[in-house]
Amino acid sequence: MSKTTVKILSLVSALMLMTACSRPEIISVSGSTTVLPAVSKAADAYQSQSGQNIVVNAGGSGSGFNQLAEGQTDIGMMSRDITTDEIARFAQYSFTPIAIGRDAVVPVVSSEIYEAGVTQLSFAQIADIYMGRIDNWSAFGGPDRDIFVIDKESSTGTRQTFFDIVLGDKKAEAPGADLVIGSNNEEQTAMTQSDAAIGMLSLAWLNDDVKGVSIVTESGGVIAPNLENIRNGSYPIARDLNIVIRDDISPKAQAFVDYLLSPNGQAFVQESGYVPVNE
Amino acid sequence: MSADNHPHKSGLKVKPRRLSKNYAVKSYALASCLSSIGLFGLIFIVLAVQSLPAFTEAGSTLLSARWNPTDNQYGMLPMLYGTLVVMFIAMIVAVPIGVFAAIYIAETRSARLRRFTRSSLEVLAGIPSIVYGLIGVAYVSVWIAKGLDLQTGRLILTAGLILAVMILPTILSLTTDAILNVPRDFRENAQALGLYRYEVFRDVIWPIAKTDIAGAALLALGRALGETMAVMLVIGSIDRLPKPIFNVLSSGQTITSKLGREVGESAFGSTHFSALVLMSLILVTITVLLTAASQHFFGRGRHV
Repeated sequence: MSKTTVKILSLVSALMLMTACSRPEIISVSGSTTVLPAVSKAADAYQSQSGQNIVVNAGGSGSGFNQLAEGQTDIGMMSRDITTDEIARFAQYSFTPIAIGRDAVVPVVSSEIYEAGVTQLSFAQIADIYMGRIDNWSAFGGPDRDIFVIDKESSTGTRQTFFDIVLGDKKAEAPGADLVIGSNNEEQTAMTQSDAAIGMLSLAWLNDDVKGVSIVTESGGVIAPNLENIRNGSYPIARDLNIVIRDDISPKAQAFVDYLLSPNGQAFVQESGYVPVNE
Repeated sequence: MSADNHPHKSGLKVKPRRLSKNYAVKSYALASCLSSIGLFGLIFIVLAVQSLPAFTEAGSTLLSARWNPTDNQYGMLPMLYGTLVVMFIAMIVAVPIGVFAAIYIAETRSARLRRFTRSSLEVLAGIPSIVYGLIGVAYVSVWIAKGLDLQTGRLILTAGLILAVMILPTILSLTTDAILNVPRDFRENAQALGLYRYEVFRDVIWPIAKTDIAGAALLALGRALGETMAVMLVIGSIDRLPKPIFNVLSSGQTITSKLGREVGESAFGSTHFSALVLMSLILVTITVLLTAASQHFFGRGRHV
């Protein structure tokens, strides 16, 4: 091998390494699968409008924050607040959550159970199910069938919001759980496959096979899970859908954040089944 | 270059160059060899160092059955149990089927059919594991739930069965090889002695091939151990020991499925992360032992 060949080869590999290391001209967004549909639709529109490449990845709120904090993504998506623990771990940066919409976490049951008459539950009843104290639908006027309890990974925003409001402890363990799943997609599939399941889903993911039940309040009122009740603030398990940015955000990513908050961007929040902010 | 002035020495001019070329290739080969060994060592060291905090901070809770990072509870028993049981199910299903099918193909079928099965097996082995996982979630788990009248088909058993299908090609093709690798002389001599076909196989072929077949099974076991995607989708992901303990018709968790679900959520440097790394260290250790054992078997087979 002649010296020139070696030189050229090493030069080429060095160049390749450098291009691999330099920050590519794309904006990356990752995190909560609840926030994802709205951001992903907005990203498509923004991309065709401005030519800026945007990659939107799922992973869950916890993973979205970790990736943002470790500099692997420009924008994190979170369907829950940043915990003090998370802030303390990356104290060298400051993070700003920006609400891009509002959503509800809805207790959902299989359509068979819903049609058999279980259309409303109180917080205490849901707690009984997740704590494993009641394990048959007949206790709530449903058919004589074991309750199939679907839980979510503990770092997901949906679970933390749900457990925080229903059980008063967002990290509570659920000894009654029969299955643990991750994303909203996976939950929807598992719900559809069962005929006696209860789970928790973001409002936008309800469909004919997966029915949201109304909440019975302590005063006896019944609040249906719908956009109207989120908007007027009466639905109790509501939360902000956030994107999170680090203080050293690039101007390009900032421009996309601005777009998300603009009327054009907010239209996609609405289209995804959530309540826009600034309404 | 002085060689231009001494044309008669042109032969010498080529020789050192060829030598240096040889030298370059040799050192390149050596460097690649050393770097792959070094890489393995590095991975092992990194895993070992990163898993230390789990010992100091979670200590005795590591051997409990309760996993809850918020409470500093990192019990690994459910994951270890799930991993072992899933491997066991996969092996007791896949090994007999694989070995008997291989005997049938190698002993009774034509070379043409062997080539055909071989190529279809290679295709089967090349299917990405996520595809098996999807089939498992969409069909197999639903069938099992319906067939056994269960709430869910996402069970330890389902994961074991999916894995069995995934390692079957490995067992089948390596076992076929092992049988065909027995020198023709042995077979011909045995036949010349007037032995029946099954006697030839039982008394001559099998004793020689069996170490290689054991190696094949261990190699397949190694693959089953590391499988993540397919298992993660069908096992149910519950960090709990089944009740009663041998009830494989309950959801569970393996080391790989746990890692797949939680690595993204754990912060680098936390006890949580360290506990996950410790589990991967256990996994790597088992894999290394299995590979070493299978190479030992293969090595012995060759000397016969």
